[in-house]
Amino acid sequence: MAVKKDLSLKYLGVDCLNPFFLSSSPVGGNYDMVAKCYETGWGGCFFKTVGIFVADECSPRFDQTNKEGLPWVGFKNMEQISDKPTEVNFEYMYRLIRDYPEHITVASIMGSSVDEWKKLAKMADEAGAKIIEGNFSCPQMTSHDMGSDVGTNNELVESYSRAVAETVPHIPFVAKMTPNCKNMEEHARAALKGGAAAVSAINTIKSITNVDFENNTGMPVVDGKSSISGYSGAAVKPIALRFCTQVQQDEEIQRMAREGKWNFGYGHEMSGIGGIETWRDVAEFLAIGCRNIQVTTAIMQYGYRIVEDMASGLMHFMEEKGYDHLDEFIGCALPNLIPAEDLNRDYKVLPQFDDKKCIGCGRCYISCYDAAHQAIDWNERKRRPELNDNCVGCHLCLNVCPVQGCITPGEIKWKVRDKDGVAVREAKDPTHIKFKKDSRKDKKLSLKAHYE
Amino acid sequence: MSKVVKAKYTAEAVPGFTHRTALEEAARCLLCHDAPCSKGCPAGTDPAKFIRSIRFRNVKGAAETIRENNVLGGTCARVCPYDNLCEEACSRCGIDRPIEIGKLQRYAIEQEKLFKMKTLKAPAKKKAAKVACVGAGPASLACAAELAKDGYKVTIFEREAKAGGVLTYGITPSRLPQAVVDHDIAQVKGLGVKFVFNTEAKAEDLEDFDAVFVGAGLWSANLDQHNFKGAQLKGVYSAIDFLKQARTKKKDFSPGKRVIVVGGGDVAIDCAVTAKLLGAEDVRILYRRTIEEAPANINEFHYALSLGIGVTTGLYPVAAKGTKTLLKTVEAAGFYDKKAKAEFSADTLVFATGQSPEDMSKIGDLDLDHKGRIKVKKGGKAGGKFFAAGDVVNGGKTVVEAVAEGKEAAASIIAYLEKKGVK
Repeated sequence: MAVKKDLSLKYLGVDCLNPFFLSSSPVGGNYDMVAKCYETGWGGCFFKTVGIFVADECSPRFDQTNKEGLPWVGFKNMEQISDKPTEVNFEYMYRLIRDYPEHITVASIMGSSVDEWKKLAKMADEAGAKIIEGNFSCPQMTSHDMGSDVGTNNELVESYSRAVAETVPHIPFVAKMTPNCKNMEEHARAALKGGAAAVSAINTIKSITNVDFENNTGMPVVDGKSSISGYSGAAVKPIALRFCTQVQQDEEIQRMAREGKWNFGYGHEMSGIGGIETWRDVAEFLAIGCRNIQVTTAIMQYGYRIVEDMASGLMHFMEEKGYDHLDEFIGCALPNLIPAEDLNRDYKVLPQFDDKKCIGCGRCYISCYDAAHQAIDWNERKRRPELNDNCVGCHLCLNVCPVQGCITPGEIKWKVRDKDGVAVREAKDPTHIKFKKDSRKDKKLSLKAHYE
Repeated sequence: MSKVVKAKYTAEAVPGFTHRTALEEAARCLLCHDAPCSKGCPAGTDPAKFIRSIRFRNVKGAAETIRENNVLGGTCARVCPYDNLCEEACSRCGIDRPIEIGKLQRYAIEQEKLFKMKTLKAPAKKKAAKVACVGAGPASLACAAELAKDGYKVTIFEREAKAGGVLTYGITPSRLPQAVVDHDIAQVKGLGVKFVFNTEAKAEDLEDFDAVFVGAGLWSANLDQHNFKGAQLKGVYSAIDFLKQARTKKKDFSPGKRVIVVGGGDVAIDCAVTAKLLGAEDVRILYRRTIEEAPANINEFHYALSLGIGVTTGLYPVAAKGTKTLLKTVEAAGFYDKKAKAEFSADTLVFATGQSPEDMSKIGDLDLDHKGRIKVKKGGKAGGKFFAAGDVVNGGKTVVEAVAEGKEAAASIIAYLEKKGVK
């Protein structure tokens, strides 16, 4: 009997079948595409951004980065918002909302003036949208009145958010944030101040993926030239998690959300975007407090079907952890993400080498010597690493070792401090100090693939 | 029904890497601290270095490493017994399977050709000493290249019309395409080495040279083994004759319907594959011992099997029978099992049971063993101005070992000439 868990949840007061949504992009640009994604298992779709402005696109418009022969580590696109007429897009959305009432078709809009934002909000309402997203973040618009240039201008973010919120006061408005900023929290606050219900993040990161030496320009090459444009995919996930965490940990944002009209008891309802491919990625975004996740790049590479393993994998994870509902673990990692100054610096965990598993490649030795503390001696005869007293417990060796379970966290050494707090020596077993150990230390767990 | 591979005689059997698959394979490499693969290469090709170059997208650098260390890099990439050498030593074996070093080497050399790289350069100022190499096989080519790189004037005497020795007149082109051999030889020619073809070097031809390297190989067939009767019949070949005819006549050479190849080494498999690819219906390898004892690379056995070639072990031929001059049947007897007996119909019988050197005394005053091989001291020293290496010394080993020995002999020759004071 297959594991079955309830993945439904409320997002901004709207009942969602699951948290898996397409993000506003080419993957959700017409009726047939979105209908297919719903049939495949996606809970909703942020429809490709609609403006009064209709995009005129260049060709080609994509590039990707790879490492060690692995393609699509990161992905760059130069597409703007929809290249279809505004009315046609809203007609698609109207039909999708009519034909798939349980699925959530979100209208993503982008105006270049207060009037345009108002007009688009009204059209979204007429199409029946239950949620509207404002795109304040596309980094490759051909006009500076739109996209990420707007998203870093607090006054514009606030006034455009207000324009939508006042035009359609019964629809929650989500402001999509750009990572091309110094401080996302202040732009998120501006959006909430203007009446946005919540923010979503991240849009793509301004990038140049590769340089083409035929034309001496970036890639992709358009008639001998190229432009800076948005980067997405697995490579940006760590950056996305960071931005989402910072927004969720911002006390002012949480206060504004709780005191605002879109408070459903969850505080600020973040929608997480950035490099999501697997159930584990989804679980991570949920763990840092997101109530909705959005995906594009992985769909561009693999198609809508990836949602099947997202759902199944997430259910198995919940079964293993004993969760019956997503709400039981949403935000569970937030309290444990703390400032660097608050970390426990009283101990070090030495690596432990399994000589039987070791294949003698010496990568730990090279990395420790060239990039750490020369704490590993190389036994040339045995072709085995030998730890010496220089080890600081940084675990570079463990991270570089190609053999699963060969180098693991081992003995813990405690710092003994003098009266000024300076570490003077090490002690083996101060049983009076309690701490939480690295989960990888548990050998049983380390054998399970998803903990690696 | 098994799916049998259909292949062409001149088409390379194994497809190579593309840029992307090469990078994927190079990414599997652990980039060891004390890479055992590099220690495992007799010719010092240094796979650890060239794989690292591929990993860091320096494909030209990879080709350069291979070519500088092993002038027959393209050939060795195809015919080396990797599974006994660098790939067996590969640390990755401790995780799953070794890196496909041979295929990565082939990829790098293919890129060298595509980019029209000229890696090896001889100094403009030549040394006065002249060296002759007898035979244009792997050992001579390696020796000549090393000497030319050092500024010596080298002349290679070759009896045949083309260079390469076993590479050109032996090994089947599905395993080693002629274009690959020619590309390697072009590197040697590019160093200014002079080739004299259709010339069997005799003592008087070699008088003017300050040093002579003999890499004449083994080109005399052993047909009279085990008191075999009927060797004179039409249709009975030695492996070297059979392969040479196939390589020179190509599709015009017909091995007939039924072919029996005697032997258990790579040459036997080359003969069987050649017969099959040239249209023989029923090809059988007859090997007197067991598969475990067979010297051939097991992958070559797999390949032969995939073409539909059978292997019959435990039997050896005792007589060939026919009508007057034409082969009709082959009688075989058990090698371990004394009761075993068999008789096969056959149009062609090929003996791939080893070769011997030809008469080496024509070349000069050389010390020969009872099998006619040249006796040498360390570094291929054969006495006086003579040096020798490769099959004519070791009795028939791998191409990579011939390259290694040729390189060593070149070092000895340089030391000899320097000691003698020839500038």
